[in-house]
Amino acid sequence: MANASATTVETKAWGGGRSPFNVSYGKMMMWFFLLSDAFTFGAFLISYGTKRFFSAVWPDPNHVFHAFPFMGHANLPLVFVSLMTFILIASSVTMVLAVHAGHYGDKQGVIKWMLWTIVGGIAFLSCQAWEWTHLGHLTGGLWGTFTDGTAPKAIYEGYYNINSEAWAAASPAQLSEATHNFYNFFFTITGFHGFHVLSGVAFLIIILINTINGTYQNRGHYEMVEKVGLYWHFVDLVWVFVFTCFYLL
Amino acid sequence: MSHDHNDNDPQALYEGDQSKLYSGLMSHHDDIKSPESKAQVKRLMKVLVLLSIVTVVEVGLGLMFSYTMPRGILNTIFLVLTMVKAAYIVSVFMHLGDEMKTFFWLVLMPLLLFVWFIIAFLFDGGFWLNMNLTAPVR
Repeated sequence: MANASATTVETKAWGGGRSPFNVSYGKMMMWFFLLSDAFTFGAFLISYGTKRFFSAVWPDPNHVFHAFPFMGHANLPLVFVSLMTFILIASSVTMVLAVHAGHYGDKQGVIKWMLWTIVGGIAFLSCQAWEWTHLGHLTGGLWGTFTDGTAPKAIYEGYYNINSEAWAAASPAQLSEATHNFYNFFFTITGFHGFHVLSGVAFLIIILINTINGTYQNRGHYEMVEKVGLYWHFVDLVWVFVFTCFYLL
Repeated sequence: MSHDHNDNDPQALYEGDQSKLYSGLMSHHDDIKSPESKAQVKRLMKVLVLLSIVTVVEVGLGLMFSYTMPRGILNTIFLVLTMVKAAYIVSVFMHLGDEMKTFFWLVLMPLLLFVWFIIAFLFDGGFWLNMNLTAPVR
């Protein structure tokens, strides 16, 4: 029976018994999951874009995101988020180094680089916790702020480029709507991404424990590290787009 | 967990642990200190430096030209740099560039739907803004 199948393997790519894409089932399904997740994040970011195109005026990231921990009222636009971006990119590199060590069956290397990746993930989550706390203090809450369309224009000054024509022309109702939408989308999308990072850290810890226990050494390969690595890089990839949409554009 | 396939019988591997069948990426190497391994690590470090530089350039452009350069040009630059970063992450970190070309396109082709998705929804948002701003009574 085994011999008969082996013959099929040689002749028919789609006849079963082999992978026409030369990729294992688990890895392929991880790619398909990430593809579906890309559409979820894409839908979030595009609905953010739709609301933004719908609005006559929009908060200015250079004014919203200008604080840094322990720096008081220093005006440091986008510096903190650059640090967060760097932490996530660096953790992606340590992850790919863990995968690399796995290719060589280097158990100690896998353990070392996965530990650094977990450290990076926790550092990123801590940064996000600080940013959320800071913005929450500033605006009086996370979701559902700025709902009073009759509030004076002055309360929005800290979030907008007040030298722009759009600001000059904007009514209090328009400012309330735009600021409200901006913060709701910000906390929803960065929250959804942060939850991905959190679950990624949980997966990394599980895989690290398995590695330490020698599960993958006995199995003869470290493909599980590679699969979790794919998820982790995807989280980094999503952050690249979140960073552009919320902080740059 | 200890019962794993260590023989090379394709049928047994297919029923048990498939991942050993497909040797492409997971092909086993012995020496992590080999020149081949070091070259790969060097390549990864280059990508880390490149991604960091691109991020610093993006933030720098934002700080210097947010209020002086036309928004359309600046945003185009940001989007191009974002795609550059995404391409490096997917092809090098996620090794999609090392997979078979058919699999590469299998994963990337569905993303073409985003072209319609983005155009349709942003156009809709802009249309409603125009309606609201030009309506005789608001």
